[in-house]
Amino acid sequence: MATRDDLEVWLARTAQGDRAAFGALYRNTSAKLFGLTWRILKDRGEAEEALQEIYVKVWHGAGRYRVNGYSPMTWLITVARNHAIDRLRRRRAGEVVLDEAIQVADARPGPEAAAVARSERGRIEACFEELDGQRADAVRRAYLDGETYAELAERFAVPLNTMRTWLRRSLLKLRECLER
Amino acid sequence: MTGTDKSDDDRALAGEYVLGVLPPEEARAVSARLATDPDFAALVASWQDDLAGLADEIAPVDPPARVLRATERRLFGARRRRWWGWAAPVALAAALAAAVLVWPGFDPRGPVPPEAPAYRAELVSQDGDLRLAAAYDAGAGTLFVAREGGVVPAGRALELWIIAGDDAPVSLGVLPESPAMVVAVAPDLRTALDGAVLAVSDEPAGGSPTGQPTGAVLAAGALTEA
Repeated sequence: MATRDDLEVWLARTAQGDRAAFGALYRNTSAKLFGLTWRILKDRGEAEEALQEIYVKVWHGAGRYRVNGYSPMTWLITVARNHAIDRLRRRRAGEVVLDEAIQVADARPGPEAAAVARSERGRIEACFEELDGQRADAVRRAYLDGETYAELAERFAVPLNTMRTWLRRSLLKLRECLER
Repeated sequence: MTGTDKSDDDRALAGEYVLGVLPPEEARAVSARLATDPDFAALVASWQDDLAGLADEIAPVDPPARVLRATERRLFGARRRRWWGWAAPVALAAALAAAVLVWPGFDPRGPVPPEAPAYRAELVSQDGDLRLAAAYDAGAGTLFVAREGGVVPAGRALELWIIAGDDAPVSLGVLPESPAMVVAVAPDLRTALDGAVLAVSDEPAGGSPTGQPTGAVLAAGALTEA
């Protein structure tokens, strides 16, 4: 299995136009990104199309990944997730498209946050268990299904403002757990 | 907000931003803030890292090989092969033969290759005797197949198959004696053609009795963007 260092080297070489490094990066990360993309789009054919577009973005955007304390896998997952959610949202007109609005982990973190981020992933799953089932579900649905406040409010049959209050509280609880 | 104090409001806002639930104007305001507020940018990056952990709950799935091929073609361009050169005369021969014989009810022009095919494939048997060129017409949803050579033993038939990804082969029919044919591609297969494999197998007269190839695969080749 590829190590984090491998991924960083392949990304750096991809940024310089090294096709072999790009191929190695693809072979070692595409199954993970394909599983994620398929899960989000729920359509295999569309997920294949999206995966091509994701790796086209990775090729062109590899130079934007900075070794900054965050895992290269986080960067790849964020690129893939945002792209898949964008496709999902284009099916429903009028919603914010993430690529326009959201910058991908381009921010250089302060040392404190970087230290936090280096802590084990997988923590998030344990922290989700501390949330009330419905509230954990709402956060998951926002991340993996691209559901907006309006959609979540309808799903859980609560007013939009209540939904927002719920989700913000859940996020704070998660943050508190993650930093514990 | 001071450099070290991160209010709960910002923590939640950074999470909302990463989830993508903010209304457009708020999301744009947050994007603008990232450039000037490194502490807030760090909160956003933390959320990206933590929430990416949700992807670990999802089982990895190997994508079919055609995805990498198609991606590399998009990025680096196609390596085109000059193969249509021999297929065009075959098609012309088909048209001429048809024109001369004029079967009743047979289009005298015979099947003709599409002018701007979306995908092409070349199939050559190991001994080089049997050669097929296929071209897919995306507008019509049909596959044009020109054949050259290949002796069909008495009582046998050559059957054409398409294999998309890891799916089971789907029959496109038995190759006719005439050197060219056009077959309709089922709508659900049309989106899976890039990188799909065409294959010809040796079958009993009339084609495979089981709906799957039963005899030897004589030639195979992948459809690639034309």
